[in-house]
Amino acid sequence: MLEAVNLSKTYISDGISYDALRAVDLKIDKGERAAITGRSGSGKSTLMHLLACLDEPTGGKVLLDGKDISGLSERERNVLRNEKFGFVFQQFFLNGRETVLENVALPLRIRGWRESKIRSAAKAALASVDLEDKAGKRAKDLSGGEKQRVCVARALVGEPQMIFADEPTGNLDSTTGKLLEDMLFQLNAARGITLVIVTHDPDLARRCGRVVNVKDGRIETDLGAKGEVR
Amino acid sequence: MRLLGIIRMANRSLLRNKLRTFLTISAIFVGSFTLTLTNGLGDGLRAYVENQVKNIEAERVMFIRKQPPAAGSAKHNSEPPEYDPDDSDNGDGLDPNAYSYTREQIERIAKDVDGVVTITPQYPIDGEYIMIGESKKYRVELGMLSSGVTQKTEVGRTIDGDDQVVIPLAVARTFDPQIANLVGKRAVIAYKNAAGELKTVSPEIVGVATKGMIVNTNSFVDARTAEAIYKDQKVGNGPDKFYNFSLQMRAMTAEKAAAVKAAFQAKGFEAETLADQKKRTYDAIGIFKIGMNFFAMIALLAASFGIVNTLIIAVMERTKEIGLQKALGLGRGKIFLMFSLESILIGFWGAIIGILSAIVSGVIANRFLVSSYLPSFEGYDFFSFTLPSIVSVLALVSAIAFIAGVFPAFRASKLNPIESLRYE
Repeated sequence: MLEAVNLSKTYISDGISYDALRAVDLKIDKGERAAITGRSGSGKSTLMHLLACLDEPTGGKVLLDGKDISGLSERERNVLRNEKFGFVFQQFFLNGRETVLENVALPLRIRGWRESKIRSAAKAALASVDLEDKAGKRAKDLSGGEKQRVCVARALVGEPQMIFADEPTGNLDSTTGKLLEDMLFQLNAARGITLVIVTHDPDLARRCGRVVNVKDGRIETDLGAKGEVR
Repeated sequence: MRLLGIIRMANRSLLRNKLRTFLTISAIFVGSFTLTLTNGLGDGLRAYVENQVKNIEAERVMFIRKQPPAAGSAKHNSEPPEYDPDDSDNGDGLDPNAYSYTREQIERIAKDVDGVVTITPQYPIDGEYIMIGESKKYRVELGMLSSGVTQKTEVGRTIDGDDQVVIPLAVARTFDPQIANLVGKRAVIAYKNAAGELKTVSPEIVGVATKGMIVNTNSFVDARTAEAIYKDQKVGNGPDKFYNFSLQMRAMTAEKAAAVKAAFQAKGFEAETLADQKKRTYDAIGIFKIGMNFFAMIALLAASFGIVNTLIIAVMERTKEIGLQKALGLGRGKIFLMFSLESILIGFWGAIIGILSAIVSGVIANRFLVSSYLPSFEGYDFFSFTLPSIVSVLALVSAIAFIAGVFPAFRASKLNPIESLRYE
């Protein structure tokens, strides 16, 4: 379970402080799929960055399975992200000149696994997004949908307990976007991986079930799959 | 991430931009190439000098000569020297007599120094020809070997008594390819006396000198023989004054050498052991080497800015990649290490290519120069490449590259992952 308690983030630039997030409380259960929505500048990305330990809060804390993870050292947070979290971004951030397999292998290289173990895990991750036949291709030669599936495989390869997806379908047409959504939901269902999806696509948000709407740094509404208030 | 993984990633990043990497390496190559060559030239020169002097030893001998006068302006600003009846310098430093002395003058200075056995002037002698038995006559260049000075010989031994000569290898081979046969025979050496008449001496050939610069062409006779020839050649020409003297000591210690030096320095003379003379030459070569290396270092300095430039561009280009790597858990230290490794690899490969090219060019130059221009220096390498100097060039260039990489690597390591992922 991932829990935000009184979480706030204030940016200061040129002496002017800006509250991106104001005292947010949020609980996301294990295996849940939650969409974080809101307009741009609402603070939804900041919320995700804080939940994913990519950034440090200025107030409050984030608990993972009851353990405070916002107070960890940089090194500990690096290990945590590497082992517990997977990431899918709107821009794919693939290394076009490297092979698909090499791109997928990155989190495990960072983890420091043995070469043979890395290769077999990366192949397995590619198989679960139906791209095992593209393993030896260069990433730049893939289509957009394929690239994002490679990103999913990269998020998956470290066997994370959560995947954070920041506008995962933002660069895809609606058909390939749907396919990718299906893939993510299927992983959630089959492996119990918690999904946190930042999106402004209402359809995707609805499909997630739980929708957390952020406005002006606060959670405006937090509705469950049946429309109940959470 | 493991070190091997980081090395692998650094290598891949370098290969991703082959042209840029190649150009940066080229700059380093020029610097390493120059440094290796200048080092090789210095080492070659040193080896050459070593080769020349190693055949001569003089453990218990000191060499005395008048110190050169102070430069003009220094003299103008100092008090005039007190009159000294032993000092024949007329004050302008240009009179050749100012540097020559009689044996008695030197003996007077040395009389208070403990342990001096004899004082021998270096007799300047001129020979005309040398022959053995009924052989042809060959032109001879005559030299004198002071007692206490020994030279290495191919066959036979060095001069160790009176009425002896050591002939050079080339002369010996002309007389008899089996040079060992010559040892023990008597050579006839002719010279012209003061009246211009040909006179001969016939010392015993005790040895054939090993090749080397000084002993390459001269036939050396003992001091007594040299003295006899000198007196015959210079008879009636005023007092016997000489530029150089050698001082034979009973035993040589550092304290003894220092005492002799002090006694002679007080009178404006320079007293040196052979080791001092060698050291002075090596010091000069050392300074020459430093001077040459200075230019190579300038080239390397320029090249190191190339590395800084290349890596800063790489950091900018790969900002998103670095952001992703950080998001996925790669620590600052590892990012720093990765960029440092890229920098070191550029330096390392530039140095390797530079060193190898320098060695190849040096070896070719050695052959070419010695065969076309310096045939008498046969066996001498113009450029000499030693393992320690090669390793030190490699280490130095890699270190310079590392230092050049510190700033870009630090910049990469402190990038904020979120901002980097947003970077356009």
